Parts: sequence; C-alpha cells; structure tokens
Amino acid sequence: MMTTGAGGDRADARADDRAGGRAQERDHRSAIRGAKAFWIACICAATLASGVAACGLGSFPSTPAETLRALLQAVGFGVGQPVDPALSVVVVDIRLARVVLAWLTGASLAVAGCVFQGVLRNPLADAFTLGVSGGAAFGASVAILSGLAGHAAFNGLGGGAGLLPLCALAGALLALGAVLALGRAGAGMGGMGGAMRRETLVLAGIVVSTFLSALISLLKSLDEESVASIVFWIMGSFQGRGFEHVRLAWSYMAVGLGLVLWRARELDLLALGEGQARLLGLDAGRSRLWLLIGASLLSGAAVAVSGVIGFVGLVVPHLLRLVVGAGHRTLLPASALLGGLLLLWSDVLARSILPGGAELPVGVVTALIGGPFFCLLLGRSGRMNGRGQS
Amino acid sequence: MRPNIEAVLAQKPDLVLQLAGRKEASQPVEALRKLGVNVAVFHASTFAELFSVIRRVGILTGSQPQAEAMVRGLEARLARLDARFDARFNTRFATAATRPRVFFEVRSPNLLAAGQAGIVAEIIRRAGGENCVADPTKFAHVSEEEVLRLAPTAYLIQRGPMNPAPLPLDQRPRLRAIPAAATGRAWFVDEQKYSRPGPRNVDAAEELAGLLHPELKSPAPKTTTPTRKDGK
Repeated sequence: MMTTGAGGDRADARADDRAGGRAQERDHRSAIRGAKAFWIACICAATLASGVAACGLGSFPSTPAETLRALLQAVGFGVGQPVDPALSVVVVDIRLARVVLAWLTGASLAVAGCVFQGVLRNPLADAFTLGVSGGAAFGASVAILSGLAGHAAFNGLGGGAGLLPLCALAGALLALGAVLALGRAGAGMGGMGGAMRRETLVLAGIVVSTFLSALISLLKSLDEESVASIVFWIMGSFQGRGFEHVRLAWSYMAVGLGLVLWRARELDLLALGEGQARLLGLDAGRSRLWLLIGASLLSGAAVAVSGVIGFVGLVVPHLLRLVVGAGHRTLLPASALLGGLLLLWSDVLARSILPGGAELPVGVVTALIGGPFFCLLLGRSGRMNGRGQS
Repeated sequence: MRPNIEAVLAQKPDLVLQLAGRKEASQPVEALRKLGVNVAVFHASTFAELFSVIRRVGILTGSQPQAEAMVRGLEARLARLDARFDARFNTRFATAATRPRVFFEVRSPNLLAAGQAGIVAEIIRRAGGENCVADPTKFAHVSEEEVLRLAPTAYLIQRGPMNPAPLPLDQRPRLRAIPAAATGRAWFVDEQKYSRPGPRNVDAAEELAGLLHPELKSPAPKTTTPTRKDGK
C-alpha cells in the first residue's frame, strides 16, 4: 500500500480504520473461536456422558451403580464386590462394544460425508447418495458369498474376516470411480467443459447404487444359503456386533481420519472450486484423490462392520456448518464427534425401543431422526440465505 | 419357497396340501383352486391339531385306518413321555425339580427364537422342559442381551434351511455367560424334525426328553439317529 503527499491524511485515517477493523476482527475471531470451543466441549461432554449412560440401558436389569462397577472392573479398577459375570458381559462385551462401534461408525460416516460434500462441492453428497456405501456393501457381499469371509463372519468372526473391510474398501473405491466417471461423462455431454454438475453426480450415484443393489440381489439368489447372513448384514445394524468388529475396523478408520485431517486445509481450498484452488497454488487433482481415498476408507470400514446406514453423513456436517462454520479444520473433528454421538443414541433407541428384547435396524432410526431434521435444516438455511444475500 | 404354479400343474396332482400361515404362499394356492385343483390347507401348531390333521389327511386320501393307527401310536408315545414327567413335575411335592429353561434358536446370527405359539414350544413342554421365551407368537426376535437376561439352562440350535451354518454355542463369545454354555447343555437339532409339523415331532419330543433328562432313560426304542453334540 503506497501513500503519497496529498492523500497522506486520508491514508492515515484509512490506516487507523484498518487497525481498528483488524482489532475488531481479532475480537470477532476470538469470539468465534470461543464459541467453537464451547460447542466442541459440549459435544465431548455429551459423548462421554452418553457412552456411560448407554452402558446402563437395555433389557438386562442393571442399576447405575452396578453398571459403573462393571465398567470400572473392565478397565482394571475393581471397586467392592466383583459384579455378576453375566452382567459384566452385558455391560462391557455387548453394550460398551456397541457404544464404541456405533460411535466409530457414526464419526466415520459423518467425516466421510463432510469430505464428499467439500471435495465435490455438492451439498447432497454423502457415502450413501454417491453409491459408495452400496459399493462397499457389494464388495463385502462378494467376500461373504465367495466364502472369503466365511458364513461365520458375523458371529464370532471366523477366519478370513479380516478381508471383509478390504473387500468393502475395494467396492467403495470402484463405486466412487464409476460415479465420478459417469458424472464427468454426463458433464461432457452437457457441454459443461468437464466440470461436474451437482445433479449429474447425484444421478450417477443413484444409477450406480441401483445397479449394485441389483448385483447384490443376484448374488443372494445364486446362493440361498447365505441370504440370511447377507440380508442381516446389509440392513445396517449393530445387533450381534462386539469388540471383534471394533478391532476389525478401527485401524482403517484411524488411517482414513488421519488422511482427511492432514488434508483439511486443502479441503477448504477445494471447496472454493477447482479453478480457485489451482490459482492459490494447490495441486487440486492430487489432493482431491487423497481426500476421496480417505473418505472411501472411512465409509468402507464403516459399512464393513455395520452395513448400510444412511443420513448420518448428510445431516451432521450441514448442521455443524451452521454452528462452527465451514472451515474444515474445525468442521471435520466436530463432524466426527457429533456423528458418533448421533449414531450412539440411534443405536440405544434401536435396541431398547421395542419390547421383549427385539431390535430395530439402526438405519431405520437414523432415517426417522435424520429426515425431519434435514427438512428443518433446509428450511432454516433457505431463510438465512434469503436474508443474508440480496 | 414360493410354489411355482406351472411346476405344480405339471405334476397333475389329485390333491395339494398346504401348510397354513405363509401369507406369500396363499396367493398361488388361490390360483390353483381357480384352476380346478383340490387344495386342502392345514394348520398345526399343537400336537392335538397335528393329530387332527393326520386324521383328515387320512380321510382325504382314503387311508383312514392307517391314519387312525398312526395317531394312536403317536399318542401312546406322547402319553409315555407325559407319564414320566407328570410324576416329576406335576405332583404336590415336585416344586423343587424345576423344568430346564430351554431356548430354541430358529436362526442366527440375526437371532430368532421359537416363541410360545408353534409346535416347538409344545415339544419342549412334552420333553420336560419349558420354553424360556415368553413371546406369544411363533417366532421372536431376540437380542444377545435378552438371551443373557433369560439365562436358559439348555440351548437348542436348529440346523436346516432357516439356519444353514450356525456356530456352536462355545464359539459365541457373548453367549458363553449363559448357564447352558457353562454346563455344556447346548445341542444342534434337526430343523425338519422340530420346526415342521409332522409325525417326526414326536421323535423330536422323545429325543429332547433324553437330552434334557438323561437321568430318566427312555424305555422307548430309539427311533432316530442321535444329534451331534455341541462342537460337532
């Protein structure tokens, strides 16, 4: 900024203004940061409290004191009398395992959704709508049917179960590749110069999902014996899952999350549009590839242990953008936390809402909670946009 | 299985028997009736109903005496079983000898258990046990946690089309805490024998009585191959 003679006073005044503005902006920023920290602290506290509370809920009778004692005993801090072994199995091996698995799955799906939305600049993108979950489901169905993962994969995890997340991941990547290629071809035909339109991409996702679900149906009718285990597995549920499933998936989820968080700033740039990102010096193609691989890892691992669960990846990032803003370095961890919390409670509802120990598929619960919530969100953001712009 | 009408007609049947209770199967049955095939629909979820079905099938097929003889034989075998357990459970002094609490697994891993309706519950009762699943319907969805709450002292896993590849109980880490697993009272049983209504249900009751109460050795001749014990 150059200032010369005659305009000096005015320039000084402007500099003062700018300094004042900067101070104001600093205050504003720290206020925002404070608000973000507050919200994240809230979600963290709610997650911990929910985790412990969820371990106390279920058809097996357990008092809060017994639940706490069983949990403490499991981590090596036994207090008072050792708890009834059956209660200990219920609290730790059934409820706690499901809490952990539901949380990890919810976190993975929400983060993956957030990445898909940012990279593809598409508010409707999500592992479910893009066909990535369908691809993972197909990959894992092949693994189950070919005997790679064994019939026993969902009860005690027999040998070869380790291949399940790998097959799911391969399916997820293939589906994503197909959707992107289709989207690009569609855009080419529309004369959009290679840029993908939102609707095209979602349509491509629907096409690929439908095709894959037909393939899964084909596999099911080829092997009547495995139908029960495939249907059980695809419907999206944590029933009968335990720590063996946590062990199976957590490393993939950790790698995926690490990859995505490492590239969070690039995600901010990509969200501006590929041209803008290039102008700002980003190797857009490469960072997009890494981010998509990370998101596929997360969704593939989630699908491998819990089946297809919709809405978490769609609703959570949108909700959080309203609260913590669109910066991905905050949005991604916040999505993980809230996604985990949402699925944790959805699973508690799924396993406790029906009488007599029967369960609902958790996907039903997330859709029932997520649908109306999403409508509310859409209406609200529509109104805000209307006020903010123009 | 959904009946293929064309395949049924190709057999030129004089009579088609159908087990009631399958909603998806009733439509093809109506179609067969319209095409002039004789269809008889039966429902048997207790031994009394089963015997009445056998008698009526006897009438329909013109083999009434054979049917009558069969029912008499089956009733006599059931009466022998009842006599053994009446002495044990139904006297004034027998309250201490409680019946084993039996869990009957219809399907896993998406656990489905036999409820109180259906012939399995009566097979268990006649064999001197008690179905621990109180659900009044034929099949009940049950979570692992619920199985632990029910704490069955005997666990039956049916093997057949509905449950093609079940794991033995001792390979299911979360169910190891139930009493049946601790005492090794878990067995694979034949789906056809237990879950399909038919004369074989009496074999099933005798077999189960032997499993649940090995101390009361059955005087009846063994009519079936022994089931494999848990773990093959």
